[in-house]
Amino acid sequence: MTERTIAVDYLARVEGEGALTVRIQDQRVEDVKLRIFEPPRFFEAFLRGRSYLEAPDITARICGICPVAYQMSSCHAMEHALEMRVDGMIRELRRLLYCGEWIESHTLHVYLLHLPDFLGLPDAVRLAKDHPEAVRRGLALKKAGNHLMQVLGGREIHPINVRVGGFYRCPTVDELGALRPELETALGLAEETVRFVAKLPLPDVAEDYEFVSLRHEHEYPLNEGEIVSSRGLRIPVTDYESAFEEVQVPHSTALHSVRKGGGSYLVGPLARYALNHDRLGPRARAAAKEAGISDVVRNPAQSVVVRAVEVVYACEEALRILDAYERPAEPFVPPPETRTARVGMAATEAPRGTLYHRYRLDPGGLIAEAKIVAPTSQNQRRIEDDLRHVVERSLAMDEPALTDACERAIRHHDPCISCSTHFLRLTVERS
Amino acid sequence: MHEEALFAGLTRKVEEVAREHQIRRVTRVRLWVGALSHLTEEGMRRRWELEVPGTIAEGATLIVETSSDLSDPRAGDVLLKSLDGDG
Repeated sequence: MTERTIAVDYLARVEGEGALTVRIQDQRVEDVKLRIFEPPRFFEAFLRGRSYLEAPDITARICGICPVAYQMSSCHAMEHALEMRVDGMIRELRRLLYCGEWIESHTLHVYLLHLPDFLGLPDAVRLAKDHPEAVRRGLALKKAGNHLMQVLGGREIHPINVRVGGFYRCPTVDELGALRPELETALGLAEETVRFVAKLPLPDVAEDYEFVSLRHEHEYPLNEGEIVSSRGLRIPVTDYESAFEEVQVPHSTALHSVRKGGGSYLVGPLARYALNHDRLGPRARAAAKEAGISDVVRNPAQSVVVRAVEVVYACEEALRILDAYERPAEPFVPPPETRTARVGMAATEAPRGTLYHRYRLDPGGLIAEAKIVAPTSQNQRRIEDDLRHVVERSLAMDEPALTDACERAIRHHDPCISCSTHFLRLTVERS
Repeated sequence: MHEEALFAGLTRKVEEVAREHQIRRVTRVRLWVGALSHLTEEGMRRRWELEVPGTIAEGATLIVETSSDLSDPRAGDVLLKSLDGDG
């Protein structure tokens, strides 16, 4: 037997694709259907029969870009079920971890997924060639978010240090303090990012969105708040399912969320900003003002600016928390014994938008039922509406140009869809 | 976050190449990770440990070369560079 080396040079690809079917009759768009080819993942079923303590680690696996969001929504939902209150420094550390995720996720979206579209470039590789200084800035900023996740979460992706009641271990003052110089630099880079994206040639469109997000009494929303909408909805998170419902559509494995008795709505940066701009920190507010964006942004392309403003906020909020940090005596609030069946729900603000979790626990603390409504499924109906308008404006385009326009419209909202949709298969049925 | 989807294709390719070259046991797999690929070596290794048991690459050493060259035309990609094996 001999050992041999075989040169391969095979390009590995993420296996995911989206398809858009457009039906046009007499120069009118009759129907638009967006399909994302992702097999059902059965997370809600996996959770049944597992201890409530396992939910943060299991649900974190739903998304590699926003695992913290899943950990936070599941922890808060369990704490609601168990009537626990987590305050003080542990609450602050949760916000800090969330800031790390926002910095990382938003920066990835702004620089590597969104920016090439506005500069007429095919992808991030070409962007790195033509605008190396911008990509370096983006990567440095993303790294600052990654470091926060590493120090507080135990590792950059799928953190392992989060538990119901708080953390397994809280960092020392010195460990967190060591992040300060990098975060200060990141704040400056985030402000530069806002200035940079504000100068981009953005298409001038406006959509009539119903914005939905959390709103908190004092803070820009991350972990807590009421659910509010730009059309007057204001409810506690516990009433979420009275206002929103998930519906099955034959053309997608993902459920679509709609307002009960209404239509599509939008969660995410545009919604958060429209409903909470008065809660931003001074640096983020100044950055938004300098960028010249109004208090309510209805142009989906301008989400690149709003996302950049939210990165400024995440950096300044992280620095605020860091400076006031004192290591808590205990890293978590111990959960009480469970002896009765309980129900708990919570919503937090993932970078892509509101993430709702509800759990029913049996008397032994095992999960009897889980419901998870992700931002992607909440926005999918609304993204279809955006796509319909894109197609209506672009009937004269040939199909490659139309495909490109539709891919861009998706990338305004969702890094997850856009990541798996580099090759949107467009089918136009004309009659 | 796409390690699973990525490795599904990679392990299939390793098996295919090994079969093609009459390799009975893969001992080493070399990957090259571009600077803009959004993947970390740590994440790749974790996924590797989950993916390879039961395949021809079970027990093989994974070598990950992470590039920092932003101007590389393949900076956004992951490449299966080579594999070593007995046979």
